[in-house]
Amino acid sequence: MDTLELSELDMADPAVVRAAARHFAAALAESPQYKAFEQAAERFRRDHSAQQALQAYQEKQNAWRALIMLNALSLEQQSELESLQKAFVSHPLVQEYLKAQMDFASLCQTLGDVISESIGLNYAAACGVSCCG
Amino acid sequence: MATGLSPDLQEATQSLIENLLASEAFIRYRKAETRLNTDREARSLLERLSQAQARLRQNQTRGAVSQAEIDELRDLQAQVQRNRVIMEYAQAQQEAVYFLREINNEISALLGVNFATFANHATC
Repeated sequence: MDTLELSELDMADPAVVRAAARHFAAALAESPQYKAFEQAAERFRRDHSAQQALQAYQEKQNAWRALIMLNALSLEQQSELESLQKAFVSHPLVQEYLKAQMDFASLCQTLGDVISESIGLNYAAACGVSCCG
Repeated sequence: MATGLSPDLQEATQSLIENLLASEAFIRYRKAETRLNTDREARSLLERLSQAQARLRQNQTRGAVSQAEIDELRDLQAQVQRNRVIMEYAQAQQEAVYFLREINNEISALLGVNFATFANHATC
């Protein structure tokens, strides 16, 4: 009964839906927000001082991970980590990258909301994305 | 459609939505959802399960859960699992979710980033 009902409808072949998904991705990749995000990411990847700032922060974070989890950093260690973090996030290229990332995320959220509302499922949640990615 | 989107992006989004809704997984999901919404017995069962779970949670925080409450919850869970309309809905929803993940992989592969992660509003 169900099979008959479904076969009578103009059902989209999975390959056609995938093609529509690629068309959507291509249109999104043409948006100014995506291009700015890609360019900012590339500039950030290629900049020696920005990479050094990232590395210095990550190295300390990794070295002190256990202490951070136990909330057992000394005041000096806390201060050093905050100073490295500040140096990293205040780097002009990191600032530019974060701004571009936020603008692109805002566009993706708008599109995700439109899709979710139309299909009756929360797109991000259905795709297994939690608040921690 | 949201304002501020380019005509190309609007058209591509609309086309993706229409194709998703016309896919077998989503047609089955919407049919199962309609059946669930119009089945009074199934809806009442889900409502009673939800109420029993809420009561149990409340009593757990007070450390006052009775065996009768646990038995009631287990009985309702068993009834839900025997209810064809509810189980078909759950299965259809799961299949729609799997299909949506495949579609998200297709989008993300082209973009080089996970689209769903960027589309997520929640922050830690």
